[in-house]
Amino acid sequence: MPTIALEPLLHRKIIRQTNPRFQTELRKIKPFSLSYRSNQLNVCGSFSIFKPRKFLAVSACSNSSTVTRPSESTEIIYSETFQLKLRETVEGKIFIRLDKGKNEDNWQLTVGCSLPGKWLLHWGVHYLGDVGSEWDQPPIKMRPPGSIAIKDYAIETPLKKMDATEGGYCLHEVKIDFDCNSKIAAINFVLKDEETGSWYQHRGRDFKVLLVDYLCDGGNVVGAKKSFGLWQGALGQLSNMFLKTEAHQRTSIDNKKGSAETIQPNKPLEGFYEELSVVKEIVVDNSISVSVRKCPETTNTLVYFETDLPGDVVLHWGVCRDNNKQWEIPEGPYPPDTEVFKSKALRTRLQTKENGCGVRGLFTLNGGLEGFLFVLKLNDNTWLKCMGNDFFIPLVSSGGLSALSGEHQCEGKGTMISLGFNSGSGDVGETMTKDNQGASHTSHTDGIIKDIRNLVTDISSGKTWKTKSKAAQESILREIEKLAAEAYSIFRGSSPTFSQEAVSEAEAISETQAMKPTVKISTGTGSGFEILCQGFNWESHKSGRWYMELHEKARDLSSVGFTIIWLPPPTESVSPEGYMPKDLYNLNSRYGTVDELKNVVKRFHEVGMKVLGDVVLNHRCAHYQNQNGVWNIFGGRLNWDDRAVVADDPHFQGRGNKSSGDSFHAAPNIDHSQEFVRRDLKEWLRWLRDDIGYDGWRLDFVRGFWGGYVKDYLEASEPYFTVGEYWDSLSYKYGEMDYNQDAHRQRIIDWINATGGTAGAFDVTTKGILHSALERREYWRLSDGKGKPPGVLGWWPSRAVTFIENHDTGSTQGHWRFPRGKEMQGYAYILTHPGTPAVFYDHIFSNYQSEIRTLVSLRNRKKIHCRSNVKIAKAERDVYAAIIDDKVTMKIGPGYYEPTNGSHQWSLAIEGRDYKVWEAL
Amino acid sequence: MLSATHGADESNGQRYNRNPAVADSLLDVTQLCGSSTTQHLPRVLVVLGLYLIMEASVIGAYQVKFGTNDYRDLGFCNLRNKVCIPPRTRICFNQSKNWRNFGIQFSLKDSQTEAVRSEEVSRDTLSSSGERSKSVDGIELFVGLPLDAVSECNTVNHVRAIAAGLKALKLMGVDGVELPVWWGVVEKDSMGQYEWSGYRAIAELVEKMGLKMHVLFCFHANREPKIPLPNWVSQIGETLPSIFFADRLGQQYKECLSLAVDDLPVLNGKTPIQVYQEFCNSFKSAFAHFMGSTITGITMGLGPDGELRYPSDHRVAKSSKTPGVGEFQCYDNNMLCHLKRHAETTGNPLWGLSGPHDVPSYNQPPTVNNFFKEQGGSWETPYGDFFLSWYSSQLISHGDRLISLASSIFSDKTVTVSGKLPLVHSWYKARSHPSELTAGFYNTANRDGYEAVAQMFARNSCRMILPGMDLLDAHHPSGSSPQSLLEQMKAACVKYGVRVSGQNTSVSQVPSCFQQIKRNLSEGNVAVDLFSYQRMGADFFSPKHFPLFTEFVRGLGQGDLHSDDIPVEEVKSVHTGSEAQKDLVQSA
Repeated sequence: MPTIALEPLLHRKIIRQTNPRFQTELRKIKPFSLSYRSNQLNVCGSFSIFKPRKFLAVSACSNSSTVTRPSESTEIIYSETFQLKLRETVEGKIFIRLDKGKNEDNWQLTVGCSLPGKWLLHWGVHYLGDVGSEWDQPPIKMRPPGSIAIKDYAIETPLKKMDATEGGYCLHEVKIDFDCNSKIAAINFVLKDEETGSWYQHRGRDFKVLLVDYLCDGGNVVGAKKSFGLWQGALGQLSNMFLKTEAHQRTSIDNKKGSAETIQPNKPLEGFYEELSVVKEIVVDNSISVSVRKCPETTNTLVYFETDLPGDVVLHWGVCRDNNKQWEIPEGPYPPDTEVFKSKALRTRLQTKENGCGVRGLFTLNGGLEGFLFVLKLNDNTWLKCMGNDFFIPLVSSGGLSALSGEHQCEGKGTMISLGFNSGSGDVGETMTKDNQGASHTSHTDGIIKDIRNLVTDISSGKTWKTKSKAAQESILREIEKLAAEAYSIFRGSSPTFSQEAVSEAEAISETQAMKPTVKISTGTGSGFEILCQGFNWESHKSGRWYMELHEKARDLSSVGFTIIWLPPPTESVSPEGYMPKDLYNLNSRYGTVDELKNVVKRFHEVGMKVLGDVVLNHRCAHYQNQNGVWNIFGGRLNWDDRAVVADDPHFQGRGNKSSGDSFHAAPNIDHSQEFVRRDLKEWLRWLRDDIGYDGWRLDFVRGFWGGYVKDYLEASEPYFTVGEYWDSLSYKYGEMDYNQDAHRQRIIDWINATGGTAGAFDVTTKGILHSALERREYWRLSDGKGKPPGVLGWWPSRAVTFIENHDTGSTQGHWRFPRGKEMQGYAYILTHPGTPAVFYDHIFSNYQSEIRTLVSLRNRKKIHCRSNVKIAKAERDVYAAIIDDKVTMKIGPGYYEPTNGSHQWSLAIEGRDYKVWEAL
Repeated sequence: MLSATHGADESNGQRYNRNPAVADSLLDVTQLCGSSTTQHLPRVLVVLGLYLIMEASVIGAYQVKFGTNDYRDLGFCNLRNKVCIPPRTRICFNQSKNWRNFGIQFSLKDSQTEAVRSEEVSRDTLSSSGERSKSVDGIELFVGLPLDAVSECNTVNHVRAIAAGLKALKLMGVDGVELPVWWGVVEKDSMGQYEWSGYRAIAELVEKMGLKMHVLFCFHANREPKIPLPNWVSQIGETLPSIFFADRLGQQYKECLSLAVDDLPVLNGKTPIQVYQEFCNSFKSAFAHFMGSTITGITMGLGPDGELRYPSDHRVAKSSKTPGVGEFQCYDNNMLCHLKRHAETTGNPLWGLSGPHDVPSYNQPPTVNNFFKEQGGSWETPYGDFFLSWYSSQLISHGDRLISLASSIFSDKTVTVSGKLPLVHSWYKARSHPSELTAGFYNTANRDGYEAVAQMFARNSCRMILPGMDLLDAHHPSGSSPQSLLEQMKAACVKYGVRVSGQNTSVSQVPSCFQQIKRNLSEGNVAVDLFSYQRMGADFFSPKHFPLFTEFVRGLGQGDLHSDDIPVEEVKSVHTGSEAQKDLVQSA
């Protein structure tokens, strides 16, 4: 979150540098530019002087190996090869081809990329006549094998590596077959590199392939003849960017073009082939070998260097006489092409090797020296160091070879970068002999100073200082932000954010509960003893009288033991299920009228259950189009204009600020940073609470905006219980889920934290891990590295709302269905564990009902609550067992487990397919 | 999050471009200066100086006077470190820049050379007097380093984060940082064995960054993060429990030494005062190189959490909405001895047998029991006066001992000495001010208890650190009033000429708290000329907080809250004035 928030500022800077290399690079990628959203990948990053860490990271690791010996007659006292990892940007092509397939109606879209990487095509289709959404899921038969559905609007398909290489480079591509009669207006896509996590877009927007020639509203259309050569002129465009976000600027330029387009009559589909340049950062492995030999005849020491680094390599070196590694200049003679630098160090240009590949150098030193110190300087003013220190080569053999190389064994992950824009200024040698970290810091700051100085020089030479001084100030601000982000990540990372707090919280609570049975009501947890029922599925809207149906079932649901019911989204909506809200104050929906809603809420209150309203705060469908024909003007009681829409979703041309979260592509995303929006939403929530009677909220797609706003809303609406849907994907490698999902749960925790703990969140991590554990018989996954549950419930149980299925993952959508037939194992887990369990409607009204009833009543009887204590007794390949609060023992999986009757007498409470639960007598 | 502020600034961008004429005149003078100087290096500096002048003028247009004195704080050259960021040039973007009243009417050549020269002058005066005058905008801004910046084993915690943080602060134009130095870290294992390496590493880092540093001596322990007292002190405490404060029930407060043992040889034959003195002397020699240059201030730890007070509230539940009044901490043997003697000498030996018997317990409100009662409480009786006078005077003498110690040790060095007071604001509105009484400040509806304290500070020419500048009455229960209490304390300082450094209580994520700080700093007659923001850490750099802080720093650079907007406000007021007239006309 923090880095993302700061990142855009960093990107803009790149563009403003008036570095000659930048311009050449730009010329190369004409006429298309690609923009990137990513932390890791940095387009043209190598010209940015403020981002040394990004553009050139070098790590050196050593592994002793034999080195070529120019002369056999001498004693080798040291030899070492340092691996140099150099990050470079490489250029490649993305190509897009549309051509006819087997017959007239069958067409094929091919997207390929010539760069190495693990490429994914993230795509969706725009159906004819669908104004609400440009991103929808394509028909099943259109999806190539291996495709994964991402929510309900996109597909991710991996690009396959092709064997046939043209011109020697590897090629990845994916082919999408489609029927041109399938009512698809356009295919939208972006490319994603899974290795770096970077997204590649086209001119700051999604790629778009029009299949039906009608109004094209932007410059991001590929294969439309007229958008060729529309390159704005890099500098003209970029100089406009000032203080506004990148995306916004680009969009506005694109829009000008877009609005000038005219509607064209339908034309038959034409094939095309396009190539776009793409730049990616890759790691290049080089190495430098050093060997030290003693000359038996003289006391001299010979140091030999050999490296395969390309280009000119200058060795910036000195010697030291003791372990303090104080740089000194040795006595001559020096190798050819050596100059004295600031009377502190020597600089020697290494000589090209005979075979022309790589460079080498031979240094003759007198005796009595302890070590040889050096750093490497490449021709682009890049400095290479060893793990942030000077390379140190011992010249005495006292410790023996192995000990010596061990002394500066590099962990292999160290990266150190020093950048060289101040190479001429002369303080490099000076600082290098001191603290190296400091050196890079100083050089960093120096860079900014230098920039200011340049600026001042520019002023005196009569250039336009206004923009420049702004730019300089901006770069200082950006630098500050970057430093702050860095500091934040370290401070935050080094203090364990949650595990401990969670424990102490649990302890504190159990203590107070032991003393007095009063329960603390928190909007994130309710009483702590809540059991949630999701009171609808994806089809519930079809009857048109869902509220009435629930009304009849209220008593029944209450008798199961549920304490909270989650009702479907109540507002008028473009989609019947309710997740595309339009007029927030119109509560007549496919589920029933506003009066029926009030009635059902009242009914649930009568049977002693609380009611959650499903509120969609991230996006809202518009009532009217703006002057460009984009739907972003709202009607109804909250008649917001396009200032209420975030600026960085190009589809909706919002005039608000940049989104504080991810985008939901199908509707205008609301800009929560606007005061009036927040005020209106708070008032709305208050109204739902007071007039309709909702007790709390289930918040849809909270990834879309900052959790701090949620806090604001919850403080205003004072709900009894709140749960947010923060759903992103777990981490997988080679199709297999990683064991450690800490990053995933940390993201959810971060969100909860941003809400100040006022809301809980669905424990997507636990669901994901249960999938793998159950499906693949990998029950060991259910214990994390510290022997705790591996999901959110292991870290912050009171804020984890555990579930195994909902209307998106299961029901008739089945985006991420729980392993079939293993649902009861899932419930045996979540209904016995801490956290607040949620049971899905479909499962209640299925033949699982009696088992669920038993588990729920056991949970209530044994007073298991959201902060209960879990002791994992077993987490092996085919069985997982845990003891909760010393009151309940459970096992899932086909393997054997029985609780031992020691301090407690255990009796079997329920047994089912591959699970058993016992209670303490 | 940042975009919000950018967005807000956008409309001002136009104003920025509105005065090309001024820009041109600037260009002209720049060229003029370029041609009039001969040597290369000075020219760069001069030009740079000009840039800074421009910046300064942009930022605090109305405060800048182009006289010698003001220039030295514009000083941009820390040549030794090659860091030339002007301390005053706080980052400022698209702020409303109104050049109209500004004009460039000075002779550029003169003022530039002046700028460079005066920088040298200021360095001289700085080192000779050690007194630094107010900055252009009046406020020096410091930021506290993390409490656990140096770990118990004397390594620097998160050194990269601190380095990055320092650089960010430097670039923002923050003047310096405050480094807490812990007794329990430096003199951890045995008396007289000092280990300064970790702190020296930080000092070097700070020096390299060209920032100033204030050092805070912490002779107390800390709970979160946990930093204990020196092991050997805790061990002595095992056998000699009376070195710690104790309450009515004999419960001890083990996070700092009782003020009653200040002059008793309880620490292996030495008195705590002697131990503190040796600690300070060791610091002074270990950091001699930094004194007066990087290190410009020393804050003496005076008690619990470094503040001059009794630990009266350490068992008060912090979470409850209305905290209790706390309890008197005069029940360790030595305190009771003092009390007894005092009672005997004042002719009421029976009053010295114990503390007041009719007080509420830690978490109770003042209405419980008789002592703090609004009307007719024991506090208003002669006994009450006897006890409270004694209790508070003990605290003041303790403060005096420590502060005069620090003043004498550092009197030959060019550093300022400060001491910190607590802001005990709960129950301020009760007539008896019970929380302040238990904390040791005899401040009631009938009596100003802070004057004596301010007098003591004045006597030692010690700065007073007042925390809680970010607190608003609105955020606190009705009985409490941080704002009024702060006013009272500031007034006492003004009365006795004590200079005040401000602090905030916590990293806040609410803009209103920053506004409150600014309000506290911008009030005219009070000598608050330094603010030390607490403190660097994850929260500080979090995206929720850091932009607010940046905004705050920028705002400080502008001196007054809206100094840049003054002309605009004039326009506005004219406007509203005419509207009012219109209204008048209409109503007539």
